[in-house]
Amino acid sequence: MNFSWPIDGAIIGVYLLATMIAGVWLRRRVRRVEDFLVAGREMNLHLGIASLAATEFGVITCMYAAQGGYTSGFAGALPGICQAVAMLVIGWTGFCVNRLRESEAMTLPELFERRFGKTVRWLSGVVIVLGGLLNMGVFLKIGGQFLCLVTGLSLEHLVLIMTALLVMVVIYTVLGGMLSVLVTDFLQFVVMSVGLLVVTVMILVQVGWGRLVETVQKHHGAAGFEPLAADGLGVSFVVMQVLMGIAATLTWQTVISRVFAAKDAATGRKIFTRTSFFFVCRWFIPGLWGVAALAILGWQPLRELSAGERAALPPAVVQKIEASPVGQPLKLLSAEEKGALPSATRDRLNEASLNAMPRFLGAFLPIGLMGLLIAAMLAADMSTDASYMLGWGSVIYNDILAPFRRRPWPHARAIRWNRCIIALIGVYLFVFGLLYTPEGNVWSYLALTGAIYLSSMSVQLVACCYWPRANSWGALAAIVLGAVVPVLHLASERAPGLWPWFASLSKDQAGILAFAMATAGMVVGSLLKPRDAAPATALM
Amino acid sequence: MKADLHLPWLLLAVAVVGWYSTVTVWVAIKGAADIRDMVKRLDEEQPKDSAARPDDPAAK
Repeated sequence: MNFSWPIDGAIIGVYLLATMIAGVWLRRRVRRVEDFLVAGREMNLHLGIASLAATEFGVITCMYAAQGGYTSGFAGALPGICQAVAMLVIGWTGFCVNRLRESEAMTLPELFERRFGKTVRWLSGVVIVLGGLLNMGVFLKIGGQFLCLVTGLSLEHLVLIMTALLVMVVIYTVLGGMLSVLVTDFLQFVVMSVGLLVVTVMILVQVGWGRLVETVQKHHGAAGFEPLAADGLGVSFVVMQVLMGIAATLTWQTVISRVFAAKDAATGRKIFTRTSFFFVCRWFIPGLWGVAALAILGWQPLRELSAGERAALPPAVVQKIEASPVGQPLKLLSAEEKGALPSATRDRLNEASLNAMPRFLGAFLPIGLMGLLIAAMLAADMSTDASYMLGWGSVIYNDILAPFRRRPWPHARAIRWNRCIIALIGVYLFVFGLLYTPEGNVWSYLALTGAIYLSSMSVQLVACCYWPRANSWGALAAIVLGAVVPVLHLASERAPGLWPWFASLSKDQAGILAFAMATAGMVVGSLLKPRDAAPATALM
Repeated sequence: MKADLHLPWLLLAVAVVGWYSTVTVWVAIKGAADIRDMVKRLDEEQPKDSAARPDDPAAK
């Protein structure tokens, strides 16, 4: 590994010091809970672009997008293209977001209460937090994994790295809330972007476009270029990406919190239109790194195992793993052979495609650039963690705890509660990140856990804004049905015998089913409720 | 492989590097000005009320 503590360590140290100073600098300006949660609604366009881009690109993004490039070639960038188009169209037309910003709400459930009542607000808050926390539960572990692999530190150092990262992020987020997050996001956007661009140009120059194309052709054939080609990503993957792109733009708390924090609705829309192409970059750039990793390292899943673990495998199993298609090390094994593998061995093999990119960069980048890359990735990770903790924390405070606030709380007390919630989310992240390892493709795991709430919240939001007949019965049915499918699917992954039908679905199919169920729930539930009991109010 | 299969991806690669470089410089300059303005406005504002979100329906 080309990591030099004096040179690369100094670059990283300067970045971390600057971030902490910037993050702590604004703490005295937090006077009201609105300052803490939505920066007093004073955010302007360019800061909004920097913040949205920095938030939505973390080490986790880099890892799963690179995994997409490694296992699917250029076609792996499709999710980014779908979300960019969705964001451009939504920002351009103002679909839903105009009404979101004009509502002066701080969270989606707060908006839903005006149309569907207190129960829907509370339940929406619970589902948003459940999906969001499950989603971000893997961030720290994968972030730490990246840093260990790139620097050459052993995975045993993961806990130390995770703790250090988390403590820094929690300190400035707890002290300054959204104000600190916006300023650190800005700094992190600049550092992250410089790092991403320099590494990408270096790969294009040194590995070469021709070699990247040849690699994709050799390992993936036409499917590496065309998502819908035979043996490609498949129709269900593409449909799920379109649905996710629209739903995430409309309802992902960390995305729409930029709309809520914007000076006005027009600024919120401009942030969307002008950041939209970044979502192509956020998939395409790490995707290229993944293809480069495949070009230089090839597909060698057994490299993930220790000598002892390799020696314990029967020769026939070793042969099948070596001959497996890229990203699917266990595909050629029989059920008995899979069952006989120790779970640690299975987990390591499943992570081979995820670990390829950081392994490649660790050997590819020279001293100096390594420091820049790590600073960039730390910037990406910290901005994402901070915004996500604040995003889900704001829903816990604003919506889940709402029934427990009979009188308005003084600002000091409200801010204190928000700070405690964020600190507790930090503890959760640390514990969950250590205990849980997602099966298979990380992006599909994130999409599925996101679908727990994206499906029902996006259906609710559209109905809330544009369907006069929508009411609380429909909203409740959408929440329950939208969450049931992903939750059962996640549970069946851990205990396949429980619900075999759910276990047989792919993550993408389960996600699409969640959207379909949420829509059906909204329509049927709303139509079943007597019309006179459901007057169309607000937002219409 | 059809020879032109990679061309859209090549164009996208050029667009990504070109657009992202430009936006990074543009946002770095303008974003700093936004932070200055935001801090100025926050400093000018005084807290108008002592309780959090009096319009919060949950707080009524």
